[in-house]
Amino acid sequence: MAQKLDEYVEAEIQRLLTENGAVAEQGITLQRREHMLILGGEVESAQRRDEICRQITTKFPDVEIACDIGIVRAAAPSEVEEIS
Amino acid sequence: MIRIAAVGDVHVDKDVLGRYRPALEQLPDVADVLLIAGDLTRHGTVEEAKCMAQEFGDVGVPVVTVLGNHDHQSDQELQVMDVLRDAGMTVLEGEGTVLTLNGHRLGIAGAKGFGGGFAGACASSFGEREMKSFVGTTEAIADKLGAALRGLDCDALVALTHYAPVPETLVGEPLEIYPFLGSYLLGQAIDSAPTALALHGHAHHGSERGRTPGGVPVRNVAHPVIKQAYNVYQLLSENAETRLVNA
Repeated sequence: MAQKLDEYVEAEIQRLLTENGAVAEQGITLQRREHMLILGGEVESAQRRDEICRQITTKFPDVEIACDIGIVRAAAPSEVEEIS
Repeated sequence: MIRIAAVGDVHVDKDVLGRYRPALEQLPDVADVLLIAGDLTRHGTVEEAKCMAQEFGDVGVPVVTVLGNHDHQSDQELQVMDVLRDAGMTVLEGEGTVLTLNGHRLGIAGAKGFGGGFAGACASSFGEREMKSFVGTTEAIADKLGAALRGLDCDALVALTHYAPVPETLVGEPLEIYPFLGSYLLGQAIDSAPTALALHGHAHHGSERGRTPGGVPVRNVAHPVIKQAYNVYQLLSENAETRLVNA
């Protein structure tokens, strides 16, 4: 049976994502659904996104997660803003 | 005219090497200087700083940066600054620099900044030693930033911080964490000088545009906010001629 997703689990995962040296992300959002945790936000590489999911799955094997984390685009700009 | 490219929160490590280079190769054609608003690395290690120097070094324009909270994580911030300076970057912490670009003097004062919150919900220097230390840290940084801004003799003045000086550019972040994302004291420092533009990062879920109470334009250039390699801002415009299209 899936682990109960309460506020304490959410807080523990939020801290894990920041304090775990393999992740060190402060910009990941967590949405608690009844039986699932939805991860959002953007990171700099696919490896970092995959490591986030791996860390959560390892530490909280009963928590079902859905990963909507994106990779930040790094294209050159096409516009300039005039500051006045 | 001075064109300023800016980005923050690039969090460079080995896995990011090469991602920014295609866009950075175009930099000399579209900007005169690159400002980076802190969180250059993931954990603030010397190895990551070397990756940052490799990715953002030798880009054909001067690079000026401040550190962010991530760059302090390993207590190696002095070594990180050395690596970046050895790569030719200017790293500001409570100080300023003046660059002559296109015949204009661009003054840049920079500091990491710190938290404390904004009017109506800000921390006070009262009670426990830890609380006074928290607020006192921001006060000291803001004092240095203000003095640096006021001390620069230039044609256009830019403030560069990691933490936010206004709450408007935090919109999108949970209200509860605003005090950890910036401080009105930084805005007050920016307003104490004839600042033309204030740039910051740190708030990945924030908004791009705001203004200080004194009317200075503020831009949150955190990479997840601008969603491209860098933004370009134009100051001292004689005309709008540029290879980029005006937004």
